[in-house]
Amino acid sequence: MSRAINIGVWAGVFGVFIIVLFGGQSVLAAGLICGLLAGLLAGARTEGETMQAGVRDGLISGAVAGVILIVSNILRNTFITTLVGQNLPSTGEVLSFGIAGAAISMVLGAALGAAHFLPGRRSSYATWAILGLVILIYPFLDYSIQLGWLGIVITGLIFILLALGLNIVVGYAGLLDLGYAAFFAIGAYTAAFLSSSYIGDQLNFANPRVSFWLVIFIAAAMAGLFGLILGAPTLPLRGDYLAIVTLGFGEIVPIVFRNLDTFGITIFGHEFIKTFNLTGGELGISPIDPPKLPGLNFADRSDQRPWYFLLVLIILFSIFLINRLRGSRLGRAWMAMREDELAASSMGINIVRTKLLAFAMGASFSGFGGAYFGAFVGGAFPSSFDFSVSVIVLCMVILGGLGNIPGVIVGGLIIELSDRLFLPQITLLLQSIAQHNANNPSLSGLQRFDPTLYRTGLFGLVLVLMMQLRPEGLLPNARRKLELHADQASPGEAAQSQTDLYDVETEAASS
Amino acid sequence: MATNILEAQGIVKQFGGLTAVNNVDFVIPKGTICSLIGPNGAGKTTFFNMITGLYVPTSGSMIFDDQSIVGLKPDQVTARGVGRTFQNIRLFANMTALENVLVGQHARLKANLLGILLQTRAVKAEEERARLRAIELLEFVGLGRQRVDEMSKNLPYGDQRRLEIARALATNPKLLLLDEPTAGMNPHETDALTRLMRQIRDELGITVLLIEHDMKVVMGISEKVTVLDHGGKIAEGLPEVVRSNEQVIEAYLGKGAAAQGKGGGGVRKAVVQSAEGR
Repeated sequence: MSRAINIGVWAGVFGVFIIVLFGGQSVLAAGLICGLLAGLLAGARTEGETMQAGVRDGLISGAVAGVILIVSNILRNTFITTLVGQNLPSTGEVLSFGIAGAAISMVLGAALGAAHFLPGRRSSYATWAILGLVILIYPFLDYSIQLGWLGIVITGLIFILLALGLNIVVGYAGLLDLGYAAFFAIGAYTAAFLSSSYIGDQLNFANPRVSFWLVIFIAAAMAGLFGLILGAPTLPLRGDYLAIVTLGFGEIVPIVFRNLDTFGITIFGHEFIKTFNLTGGELGISPIDPPKLPGLNFADRSDQRPWYFLLVLIILFSIFLINRLRGSRLGRAWMAMREDELAASSMGINIVRTKLLAFAMGASFSGFGGAYFGAFVGGAFPSSFDFSVSVIVLCMVILGGLGNIPGVIVGGLIIELSDRLFLPQITLLLQSIAQHNANNPSLSGLQRFDPTLYRTGLFGLVLVLMMQLRPEGLLPNARRKLELHADQASPGEAAQSQTDLYDVETEAASS
Repeated sequence: MATNILEAQGIVKQFGGLTAVNNVDFVIPKGTICSLIGPNGAGKTTFFNMITGLYVPTSGSMIFDDQSIVGLKPDQVTARGVGRTFQNIRLFANMTALENVLVGQHARLKANLLGILLQTRAVKAEEERARLRAIELLEFVGLGRQRVDEMSKNLPYGDQRRLEIARALATNPKLLLLDEPTAGMNPHETDALTRLMRQIRDELGITVLLIEHDMKVVMGISEKVTVLDHGGKIAEGLPEVVRSNEQVIEAYLGKGAAAQGKGGGGVRKAVVQSAEGR
């Protein structure tokens, strides 16, 4: 009971954060998030095995969060809305939206709490069904209350797709890759070459435009191919040395794209390929054709819902494939290689092939992401693929929990949303407070305070704290957790130390 | 068909200036249990590593099952039918017991990338068969069903040794190399493991070569014992013959002991005891 309330309070705090930052009707979105948190956490923490207990605890957590939402919505509109110069909604509106947010939170909490205690497999099916529903509803909610998160959520999801791919290389195969952004770039430029008029414009012919639906797979294949090419020189290397080589590759690729603005091949004075601007240099290549599908309008950038659903489908498809890989002969070979390369090769695993395949498969998911990204932003620019992309994606993988897909997704969402959504919004809020209170000297000082400038610092701080407090990641897979918290010995380990003692004693007795 | 599963001739292995194995001829008759013994540093494990392809012999020939295996990579040797365990257990620590054995079957499974992504019927059936076989092997070595999903590093020491044998058996070997399988075990566990080694030969028809320090095990189980010292072969033959060989006693106990104990049964006992006590 007190546990359920506790969870409700924590979920509510997160909701307050959103409401304070965004105001308006964001309380609905806050309700959605609070409901998810309350339901998932309460379900997992509930004592007793009955569905009633699950529903009760989910409901209580959701309700506690809901009350916090209603109150904070009222307070937000009383004190902050006018301060930042937003339009003040009517009291009725404030109340009704607050109550609606609370209701969403309660319903979701109860439903997820109940789903947790369904028998056997139906439990996870039901949980996924509810999550699926939330994923389905979210863009419509975003659109109708003009939350404006969708574009940022899409960017976040692209990074999640990258993180899922990198997880194959780092999490499963244990190969530290610091140049993952290179494959992202290769995917995007493949899309740029194939589905824009750029090449034709440069060489004065009407080049065929390949459809997005084909390009995305070609891009994945191209990235996979370059994964092999990068993998080859790293084969004899391990650990730090491998990381340095991948770092080099990650640096080379964007620079090559940047500098191929004068491309041509001349051998012994004979001009095989006339010099021309292959990649557009710093300006990149744009526009890239959006995907075409009857009934959906991808070209209208003001409504990004089709883009959102397309990306969700791509990610689901990727997770589906990655899961198949993981549970297969190949996935096991990756993990065996990560655990002990020598023993793995003695078990009949071809290390060369297995390593290359890990690089290629990881890269091809990045190629997927790159092609989508190119089409989404409508261009490929070398500055989008610098080292920081590789680092952020790697951090997502580690923060969420190496080797664990839900962990990677949660880690990715947290990093991307705090970086691109919450931090800029804090800045915006502070700036508008300063603007609308120019005559108040203590507040106008805020004009010069810009939290986004501290993003790298904050990011680093989070990483340091995370590695100190929870090195296994937010949602670790069971293995990693055992590995890093060996001191909290599991029953098996306790048994082992016991038999060790037994061995020594009996041996001493027998000799 | 040759009667020997492995025929090594004139095997030399040098690490820089150090000759670890010096001109050793060595055959393993099919269907036998052979032992390789010798003091620490005699070159036993180096010899193992040359059979399994981890080291390439500096010179000499190595014929396994009528084909040369010199210069093959470890995974290729395994595919030909050589399975092994390691002196210091090298399990895949963060994988379950079942997964460890499944990895052992790697070379025997055919699923390729496309088949895995499409989950063809053949791949699914193969995976199911592999799973059943893994459980079968785990039961064969004496790891019960309840241990199947245990992380291998959480298993008790003796079970880890057994799991390593199960993993090696999963490669479907014709020749199984066991590197000190009873090291660190109590007498009870050692007996059980000796029985298991016999079972492997008798029931599965796999030829076994073991490196072992426990003379009771060596003398009780082997049909042929080969003794290495300082990289050279100093004796070979039936356990009884090797046991009373002067050079062997010298290698284990030093020159003085060999001279003293000439003709005495006491020395024999001393060899056994010293090797046991290590």
